[in-house]
Amino acid sequence: MKDRARGLKKKIHADLLDENLRIIGSAPLQKRGRGIASIVKVAALILLSISSLLFIANDLNPEIDGVNLSTPQLAPNHNDRGGRAYSPAEFANMADMIDRTKMPVRKALGFGIKTIVLDAGHGGDDPGAIGRLGTKEKDITLDIAQRLKERLTRKDYNVLMTRKGDESLTLSQRVEFANANKADLFISLHVNYLPLTEIDIVETYYFGPSTDPKVLRLAAYENRGSDYGMGDYEDVIKRIGATMKFQESKAIAASIQKSLFSNIRKKKEDIQDFGVKRAPFVVLLGANAPGALVEIACLSNSQEEKRLNDAAYRDNIAKYIEDGIINYLKTGR
Amino acid sequence: MEGHEKTKDKLYIGIDLGTSRSAFVSSNGTRQWIDSYVGWPKDFISAKVLGRDILFGAEALENRLSLDIFRPLERGVIKEGTEKNEEAVKELIRHLLLMAKPDEGQRIYAVVGVPASSLKVNKLAIRKAVSDSVDSMMVVSEPFAVAYGLNLLNNALIIDIGAGTVDFCIMRGAMPEEGDQKTILTAGDYVDEQLFGSLKEKYPESAFNINMVRRVKETHSFVGKAAGKIEVMLPIHGKPVSHDITDEIKKACESILPPIIDTTIDLIAGFDPEFQAKVKENIFIAGGGSLIKGISDYIRDGLKDFGRCKVHCVDDPLYAGANGAYQLAVDMPEKYWEQI
Repeated sequence: MKDRARGLKKKIHADLLDENLRIIGSAPLQKRGRGIASIVKVAALILLSISSLLFIANDLNPEIDGVNLSTPQLAPNHNDRGGRAYSPAEFANMADMIDRTKMPVRKALGFGIKTIVLDAGHGGDDPGAIGRLGTKEKDITLDIAQRLKERLTRKDYNVLMTRKGDESLTLSQRVEFANANKADLFISLHVNYLPLTEIDIVETYYFGPSTDPKVLRLAAYENRGSDYGMGDYEDVIKRIGATMKFQESKAIAASIQKSLFSNIRKKKEDIQDFGVKRAPFVVLLGANAPGALVEIACLSNSQEEKRLNDAAYRDNIAKYIEDGIINYLKTGR
Repeated sequence: MEGHEKTKDKLYIGIDLGTSRSAFVSSNGTRQWIDSYVGWPKDFISAKVLGRDILFGAEALENRLSLDIFRPLERGVIKEGTEKNEEAVKELIRHLLLMAKPDEGQRIYAVVGVPASSLKVNKLAIRKAVSDSVDSMMVVSEPFAVAYGLNLLNNALIIDIGAGTVDFCIMRGAMPEEGDQKTILTAGDYVDEQLFGSLKEKYPESAFNINMVRRVKETHSFVGKAAGKIEVMLPIHGKPVSHDITDEIKKACESILPPIIDTTIDLIAGFDPEFQAKVKENIFIAGGGSLIKGISDYIRDGLKDFGRCKVHCVDDPLYAGANGAYQLAVDMPEKYWEQI
């Protein structure tokens, strides 16, 4: 019994050393049978490494900022073609038509937007950020998602919500919901929190690698609790060259950010535009559909927290996001 | 506490860095806790009055009107925003190590407890803050440190209720993995906020602040059935008046328990079914929250639908984490310290 306890402690010491070496980046990563969140972080690291060349090259290419002709398996499985991928020849023909400034890729490929999934960030026993007055991020995101749903439904979109009440959902549950319902667009709503500054900002993210430590910290925070397995990521990694999703996500993020910032600015001059950024958010990675994660306001700003408690203000926020989505759908910009 | 005789050239120290309190236990027999506050004099007049460049803990809090005061750990991690928080953590750690009174030339080997679900970036930030003051260090999940210190390495569940976080760790006879550990953010500070809000609502004329509310909570916290009325003196327009706060303090303390019970159930439900009954016999509560009167019975009752459970409060809860981190520091083979 004593030997067993001694042996157990020896193993614990070795594992603790290994874990600390990993933290400082000195040890090879251990495979673990469980511990999914650490697998996610490993997968995110691999993704960043593999995808950085793809994304950066794609992002810098002004001419054919679109479909990758060498990967015909790009067509998402919700398209009108019943899930059949485009052949290289079909892509080659379409590439001539596709000029991103004139025709959105999804239009060229015949994809309509029918189903929009709205993801109210946090929920249940995860309140998200909490303002000084006790306002919880989870309540704000749910309320705005509900208002946005009503608005988009009136425009005849099929709008679904990952959560309709105050419930806890994992990141993979949110993603699986979007994919199971064949979402054409995935919008995740959050509220920022910058505790030691009174600035008020809006910023919008789409999936991609980032080297900004603050962005990576935000992504790591939002990605916590993800229960994806390595197998899920291997599949996704293959699809990471899905430049249409990347391209469209960038466009949606830009459109929403533009609408949010310009409209809020009319009433609040000190709002700051933190722009459109890439970040490795698991929730955007896992969803098949293009999407964006919107940090709609800053809960740490005391004035903004008060405004967020005003239903009319929240309704305006929903309207600005709606306008951003509709503008994107009309023009692809 | 006995010193560690055979390692006089080394000082082994376990540190529990908490949002509200930080503690250490060291191999030369010293141990102490301190409120996690750091303050710098606001101006040269404050510096002259205080006679020092920096203050810590309760002393910083008492003199906060003359200080730029920081509570640099929030929800168990270094607050983001300004460099001052990182500097405050460094100073706090330096101060803790000074309190441990290392001998001149002694190498310092430290194990530091962090919340269970700390991200790698947070662990790295803590490492960065600590590493200047020690020769070698490791970070470890706080509830795991508690489990290690109490030798609860198998079929046990630790619930560490702090100010910023409640950390859970279920032990299955090995180093816990991420699925074995959870952190929730409604903890002691949340209780303070709830109590503050409800007292403000009930007694709008009374004058009190969050620090006073925290002290009231620490003295009178309870859940379940009240032993009697709880009354405290608070000023109204300068005059001390008795206030009945029984219901408010009960509600505030109980507000954090549903997510604690839910998370406990989740962790047990995810455990090997053959050994779930054993885990249910070995649920231990640590941290300042374990001092809430009636908490073990309340949690046990909350789990009654899931079979027989035994919920224990650890002895010496304020040092349980630091003590476990210290045990790890001492037990860690020398060759491992050299690698890190």
